[in-house]
Amino acid sequence: MTTTRLHRIIVLLLALLVTMPLMAQELVTQDSVAQGLQRKVTPVKPSTNKVLTPPKGTDEKIIQQYLTGDTAQARAQERKDSLAKIYPHYPTLTELSLGLNFGDALLMIFGQKYSSFDISATLNMLNRFQPVLTVGLGRAKETPDDMNFTYKGNLSPYFKLGANYNLLFKKEPQYQLYVGVRLGFSSFKYDITDVTINNPYWGENNVNYELKGVSGNALWGEFLAGLKVGLTTNWALGWDVRFHGLFKEKKNDSGNPWYIPGYGTRNGKWAFGISLYYTIPLNHDRWPVKDDKKKEKKDDKNSDKNPPSQHDKRPQLQRDK
Amino acid sequence: MSVVVYALICITSCNNDNCSGNSSGIPLAAFMNGDNAVTINNLTVYGIDAPNDSAIIRQTSANQVYLPLRITTTTCQYVMDYNTEGVDNDTITLNYDIIPYFESRECGAMYNFNITSWDYTKNAIDSVTIPDPLITNSDVVTIKIYVR
Repeated sequence: MTTTRLHRIIVLLLALLVTMPLMAQELVTQDSVAQGLQRKVTPVKPSTNKVLTPPKGTDEKIIQQYLTGDTAQARAQERKDSLAKIYPHYPTLTELSLGLNFGDALLMIFGQKYSSFDISATLNMLNRFQPVLTVGLGRAKETPDDMNFTYKGNLSPYFKLGANYNLLFKKEPQYQLYVGVRLGFSSFKYDITDVTINNPYWGENNVNYELKGVSGNALWGEFLAGLKVGLTTNWALGWDVRFHGLFKEKKNDSGNPWYIPGYGTRNGKWAFGISLYYTIPLNHDRWPVKDDKKKEKKDDKNSDKNPPSQHDKRPQLQRDK
Repeated sequence: MSVVVYALICITSCNNDNCSGNSSGIPLAAFMNGDNAVTINNLTVYGIDAPNDSAIIRQTSANQVYLPLRITTTTCQYVMDYNTEGVDNDTITLNYDIIPYFESRECGAMYNFNITSWDYTKNAIDSVTIPDPLITNSDVVTIKIYVR
């Protein structure tokens, strides 16, 4: 008896559970209609037929990879191309530049009493790292108005070895802004002549002497910053400013040299140079091609293969319906 | 890294060519008593054979005195006249080598000297020492005269 009654209660509860939501919905709908509101359904256009256009300049090879369904490969190639645009990859041996430094010749016009002329060989690697070897000759002659001597630095050689780092490595090698270091060495001789000494207390006036063929050598370091601007395909002009200091020099009983070939005056901290460069490109076929040039090349290829009417038709990606 | 630091330090400090010293090598003598500098009153110092009997200092209180060296001969003698009754004069003799020397563009060409030997009388002087015999244009004491 009790079990039958319990069954009836369960059936009644189930019936209520089923019918309650339906009744509630009916009430809401009637309510909404009463308030003049109606749920709007915006139709969505299916995207399956959308025509996707590849970004302008996308490589034909990548487009074909997308079309064939090899999207992973295509994306990897796109990323590689994108990086190549940011960090253009020049060959290890990009170019060789031969330079003639004639900065001192100009400064001599303005009264400088010493001069160094040098030729340099710069190997541009990856358009970034540039080992530099410099060989030059320097000389000096100075008779200061208010002093008691004539200094003559005989024509002597000097050598510098170092490297530049091109800060504009993303640009074409024709234009460079670089910083660098050098280690320089010179072995030289100089004369001190026309020396006049007065010793007034002892009444010894106009005592003369001269020092001839005094030998010296010096080892020094330089930090430099420079700019190189292409004039034509192979010729370029460069300016550099150098800050330098002596590491070591020959101690001499007869004194210190005033001028060190390739370094400048012994007490000078700064030097300036202007150089004319002749550049020989190396592995030019492996240089990154600029976008506009790349496009020109492509256009040329397309114009060879396709008739002019199809020339402007860019390939289109279409998803399967 | 340490090489770069050394390079920077060297470039900014390894040479200083401004002429801060004298225009020629000249010894500077200081009067001492033990480790202390002393001042001699009423002192006259002159070189033997100096033209016109000119004095380096005359009847002056001094604790230091420059002793200019001759450049045409390698010996110099100086007389210390104390101008004090009962104290006789002293004589100092310096023998040296003359070294032609080019200091810099700013200081010019000059002579340095290398003192090879020295002698002195012992009236008021107890002893004379020359710790560094190389006489340059540096403005430092190179001769120490110890007085009683």
